[in-house]
Amino acid sequence: MRPVLLAGHERALTQIKYNREGDLLFSTAKDQHICAWFAHNGERLGTYQGHQGAIWTVDVDPTSTILASGSADNTIRLWEVKTGKLLKTWDFPTAVKRVEFNEDATQLLGVTEKRMGHLGTIVVLDIKIDPEAEQSDEKAMTIVCEESKATVAGWSYLSKYIIAGHEDGSVSQYDAKTGDLIYNVNVHELGSPITDLQWNQDRTYFITASKDKTAKLITAKELEVLKTYVADTPLNSASITPKKEFVILGGGQAAMDVTTTSARQGKFEARFYHKIFEEEIGRVRGHFGPLNTVAADPTGKGYASGGEDGYVRVHLFDKGYFDFNYEVERERLNRLAAQGGN
Amino acid sequence: MAAQAKHDWADDDDLDELITSDLPPPQKIQNKDGSTTIIEYRYNDQNQKVKTTRRIRYITHREVVNPRVAERKSWSKFGQSVKDPAGPAPDTTSVGENIIFRPSINWRKDAKDESKDPNAQAMKDKLKDKKVKCRICNGEHFTARCPYKDTMAPIGEAAGADVAAGMGDEPSAAGPGGAGAPGAGKKGSYVPPALRGAGGAAGAAAGERMGGKYGERDDLATLRVTNVSEMAEENELRDMFERFGRVTRVFLAKDRDTGMAKGFAFISFADRGDAVKACAKMDGFGFRHLILRVEFAKKAQ
Repeated sequence: MRPVLLAGHERALTQIKYNREGDLLFSTAKDQHICAWFAHNGERLGTYQGHQGAIWTVDVDPTSTILASGSADNTIRLWEVKTGKLLKTWDFPTAVKRVEFNEDATQLLGVTEKRMGHLGTIVVLDIKIDPEAEQSDEKAMTIVCEESKATVAGWSYLSKYIIAGHEDGSVSQYDAKTGDLIYNVNVHELGSPITDLQWNQDRTYFITASKDKTAKLITAKELEVLKTYVADTPLNSASITPKKEFVILGGGQAAMDVTTTSARQGKFEARFYHKIFEEEIGRVRGHFGPLNTVAADPTGKGYASGGEDGYVRVHLFDKGYFDFNYEVERERLNRLAAQGGN
Repeated sequence: MAAQAKHDWADDDDLDELITSDLPPPQKIQNKDGSTTIIEYRYNDQNQKVKTTRRIRYITHREVVNPRVAERKSWSKFGQSVKDPAGPAPDTTSVGENIIFRPSINWRKDAKDESKDPNAQAMKDKLKDKKVKCRICNGEHFTARCPYKDTMAPIGEAAGADVAAGMGDEPSAAGPGGAGAPGAGKKGSYVPPALRGAGGAAGAAAGERMGGKYGERDDLATLRVTNVSEMAEENELRDMFERFGRVTRVFLAKDRDTGMAKGFAFISFADRGDAVKACAKMDGFGFRHLILRVEFAKKAQ
């Protein structure tokens, strides 16, 4: 496969998001604009201008009408996807590290940083998916994380729970209606922050990536750890691939240690693990720095990774990727084919 | 053409060419197999007429996409890309080098074979406290690097045939009664075919040894041929010299890069008598426009 390199940012990437159909790709970096790209050929649709600081996070609603972003300038902004117009700005006392729409994009959550005497919080905003509509200023809900600040958060299936990953390596489940803490489970090594949380397609389970060099597959309802993927480097991001039963992990030497290690030792590769068997099945090289974010194409045709080197690399998988099966999987497919024949 | 309205110097050349050209008009031919042949004519830098024939096949890929996706493809660009024309802009989008990614179950094993790092390290550790000792002069270097390797036989060679296993400094385990069993005391260690049965009759051992490394390579029956043509081939030389007797070895020095002969060769005969004959007859022989010079090879220094 020949990856498409997107050089729309001057600084390290922070997050990549595909839209629901997988035709658009949104990228944010520590420079002050968001880029929108066509995923099939890497053409840049446009940039969203207005943030005054590093942008940490981005999310798009399922209809690809509006885009939300969170930045170190202490704001969450709402944009019109089609034109790049700024629709709304919400101000917060501290930086916003993560935003995510719920499944029908009626609500948006934002994770705010713990700093300057403010505790880390998860705020929920009511959203209207209409570029013309007036968005409300009021926060629908605020969850304060008193013990350890939240680094990532997301909405479970049916917007039932809010799941948050914390700096101390634990995962919390909150009731999305009331904001009450239901569970808090230590899943990762104590003290190693959770760096990413991404959902499977129906949001019944999710994958977390952590600095403790592991990624874990966890159910949304029980917070039960289903699978553990062990890597040899701190992880920054993890994603579940549709179509094939794989997960993609991205990481590498911490950015500050990069100059003291060679590219080979730095482990700047996207790692593919089999989702069920927890075994590593391959790596994709290319970045010159740690991978800060990986995102799987919702159509299952490819994935994109963003690195500390400022590049986004969009990959479309070859036939070999789709043909790969474990022996048991192949046997099952053969059996199914035989049954279909009868 | 826009040049009509606002004349641009850059277009001058093209216009002149158009006026002065008497080129046949370009042709388009539909082929039976569905491809199109396009024939065009132009002048190149040397004012020569050039005909360009191209065969093109148009393949239409039809892809059904979500109407929303189709609609998004028609969106106009905005922000920093507002001035970009349709299609990927070269300043933001480029295609990377090809990456081969094929998932496999024993991915780790494959990668290890590739690097071989751990194995090499283990080998190094194993050899760390081993001392290098020359079998010929007992110096601290490999036997292959020994300055005396062409002039001296290994130590102990004369006494016994225990060099066989490359243990010149050990007393011979396989005595003469070893009945051909190679190095009975050192089972498992590899003995080259040429040295097998070295424990047997001493005479046989000497005879079986192939053109050895110890300068015993029958220099007595080897001829040095110089002033050989660059085009010469080893089999040509062999044919020429085989007239005088059995030739055991032909070596023609060749340039590693070009593959051309360097101009000298060595011919070894099985019998010294034949070599003497060949030396007398072939010295001054004309071969490929050059006069060969043939003499007995001197012992390597």
